[in-house]
Amino acid sequence: MAVAARSKRLESVGGERLREALVGYAFVLIPMAIFGMFFLYPMVYAFYVSAHDWGGLEGKLGYVGLDNFRDVWNDEQFWIWPPEFHSGTALWNTFYYALLVVPLQMALGLTVAVVVNSGIRGRGFFRSAFYFPALTSSAAITAIAIYLLNANGLLNAGISKIVGRDFTHPWFGDSSTALESIVALNAWTTSGTMMLFYLAALQSIPTDVYEAAAIDGAGIWRTFWKVTFPLLKPAHFFVAVVSIIGALKLFDQAWIVSSGSGGPAGSTMTAVLYLYRVTISEFNYGYGAAIGVVLFLIIFTLTLIQRLLFGKAEIGY
Amino acid sequence: MEGGSVERTRSLRWLYLIGVIGAVTLLAGVTAAASAGKSEDAAPTTKAARTTVTLAGWSLAGNRAEQNALLRTIAQFERRNPNIDVDYQAIAGDYDAAMLARFAARRPPDVFYVDSLDVPDYLPALEPLNDDIRRNKFSTKPFFPRLLNAFRVRGQIYGFPKDWSSLGLVANTQMLNAAGIRTPPKTWAQFTAALQRLRARNAVPNGAPACLSLDWARILAFIYQNKGAWLNPARTRSLINSPQNRATVTQYLGWFRSGLARTPAQLGVGWCGQALGEGKAAFVFEGNWIVGFMQTGFQNVRYRIYPMLRNKAGGNLAFTVAYSIGKFSSKKAAAWRLLAFLAGPVGMRTWTGGGIALPSRSDVRIPPGRSALVNAAPSSRPWQFVSGFDRVVDLAGKELEATFEGNQTVAQMLQKIDAATKEALER
Repeated sequence: MAVAARSKRLESVGGERLREALVGYAFVLIPMAIFGMFFLYPMVYAFYVSAHDWGGLEGKLGYVGLDNFRDVWNDEQFWIWPPEFHSGTALWNTFYYALLVVPLQMALGLTVAVVVNSGIRGRGFFRSAFYFPALTSSAAITAIAIYLLNANGLLNAGISKIVGRDFTHPWFGDSSTALESIVALNAWTTSGTMMLFYLAALQSIPTDVYEAAAIDGAGIWRTFWKVTFPLLKPAHFFVAVVSIIGALKLFDQAWIVSSGSGGPAGSTMTAVLYLYRVTISEFNYGYGAAIGVVLFLIIFTLTLIQRLLFGKAEIGY
Repeated sequence: MEGGSVERTRSLRWLYLIGVIGAVTLLAGVTAAASAGKSEDAAPTTKAARTTVTLAGWSLAGNRAEQNALLRTIAQFERRNPNIDVDYQAIAGDYDAAMLARFAARRPPDVFYVDSLDVPDYLPALEPLNDDIRRNKFSTKPFFPRLLNAFRVRGQIYGFPKDWSSLGLVANTQMLNAAGIRTPPKTWAQFTAALQRLRARNAVPNGAPACLSLDWARILAFIYQNKGAWLNPARTRSLINSPQNRATVTQYLGWFRSGLARTPAQLGVGWCGQALGEGKAAFVFEGNWIVGFMQTGFQNVRYRIYPMLRNKAGGNLAFTVAYSIGKFSSKKAAAWRLLAFLAGPVGMRTWTGGGIALPSRSDVRIPPGRSALVNAAPSSRPWQFVSGFDRVVDLAGKELEATFEGNQTVAQMLQKIDAATKEALER
């Protein structure tokens, strides 16, 4: 009934509505053109380039079919089978990084959000303070971290004081701690953003659930695990997706820390940094594009899997 | 109610699709127009008009002495060529990335730096110069042949070396005096002895006797000193996996193992020159670039550049950079004028006069105190391989670091580098 009535009304004002829509689209035309030029077109073009042998300098692209992808498959600098962390291979470095940083970011973000949400004194200050690192340029933070974490840096000076002997471990200069140092750095800088997502979700939880829990005699700890945590499920999904995508795209910190080399011993060579090096230093656009397509497929698949795992579940109050 | 909103989203989706298609079409049009406009660029400029030539190089902002020398040289050219203006573009950050973008856009600078290592990769974008050389009767004889040859491919010259440097043994003389070292070490054995002495006398309290980089652009010099090589002279075969190379790398890493040397990372510095400046090492192996660096930040440190070490033979690397002309430059005549001046005797004298660089021409006077670097010319081989070798150098660097950390043996490392080298040569 209602449907029929509405579509009738639509017909009568159809012309006006169309005009309205056209005006609307005229407004979004410029952003759409920019989106098309800088996202859509390069993306489609990357797929095209990945099937070609192109050094960037020659005008013509030589079609090679799936050759680039076969090379990626056999590239022992990109990945090896069986998977091995700390093997200096770009893909496993990236997964290793994601495996460490994602839970850390989520835990840190959630903890901080709960603290800020708890109504303690000066919460406004804490909210800004925790979000501050996310506002600062990651390049600037990394550049400063290089000084703090170098062999004679502040951190080692502090450790030396505590252990009582000279401690000069180069955190970014040793393959066993370089990527882990970036993990620590990024968990800290991005926790503010994660906090914001969690905070929004926390505030949307209705208070009557908490009241019911209180009446049932649940303590703080129990309320958190039995009420708050499950109700944050959509937030968990969203934060996990954002965090994983961000982790798989790691580039800037790795590039700055190793001055672009992915060293020491390939420990900070992430998939995107490898893509960059192949394209720029080795003048191999086709191969770089192929790596980009592979990465796209990996991230896309992972997101789909997450969607299937988390997405269907409704929140049951 | 609900049905209406579905219908609404459906029509919205339709319009969205139209929008996307429209944007893509618009974009294609813009691209086509841009490429159509390209051909108009080649229109000849009128003779009376002033021409502007672009000159690009990596930024020298970190080294004021070098930057001033280049600006002086450019000003001198403009005075002599009133109808040519030079637009100097200092490229900060990743030079290769920036240049590649300009090449790909077919809008390269007219004249630009090309590192000898990058010649094989840059080749498709470089203008061959033999015709210009003949037409303008530009003599290439004064250039040191090994340096010029770094930019010669199958008989064609693609650039003129703007300057060069070999490696020298750079020493903090105060520390040598403190350790009672009167004569600088000349051989590997003497070097080891000197390092031991420096350590015994605690002459470098805040660092290590030597700072060595985990860098093939250093180790390869030692490989040559041990009569080894990476490639054969024709650059067709891999010679990296040999007993003498194994011995060389083992010796180089041995200086770290015995605690006589440390890497820049271990010393908490960016590179070994900084370690020398900050008094964290008595010996480093660097080239002429150390001079400008020490002038800028560490005037109080007393140091000297001694000849590179030798073992079975003398061996050294030559690092050189050329000025080249872009193949797609629309102002080649003016670009040639600039190139010929910068690489000619007058321009090079201005550029190298202050001692921040070593002349690549024999008819330009060498700055005082650099004989150790210049005399190495006959035993220096250019830091240059074949096209696509960046990948191998990358891998070799990674494997070297892994070997340094004790994750594999020197023999295993050389095997891997050998395999990668062969693969690159086959391509």
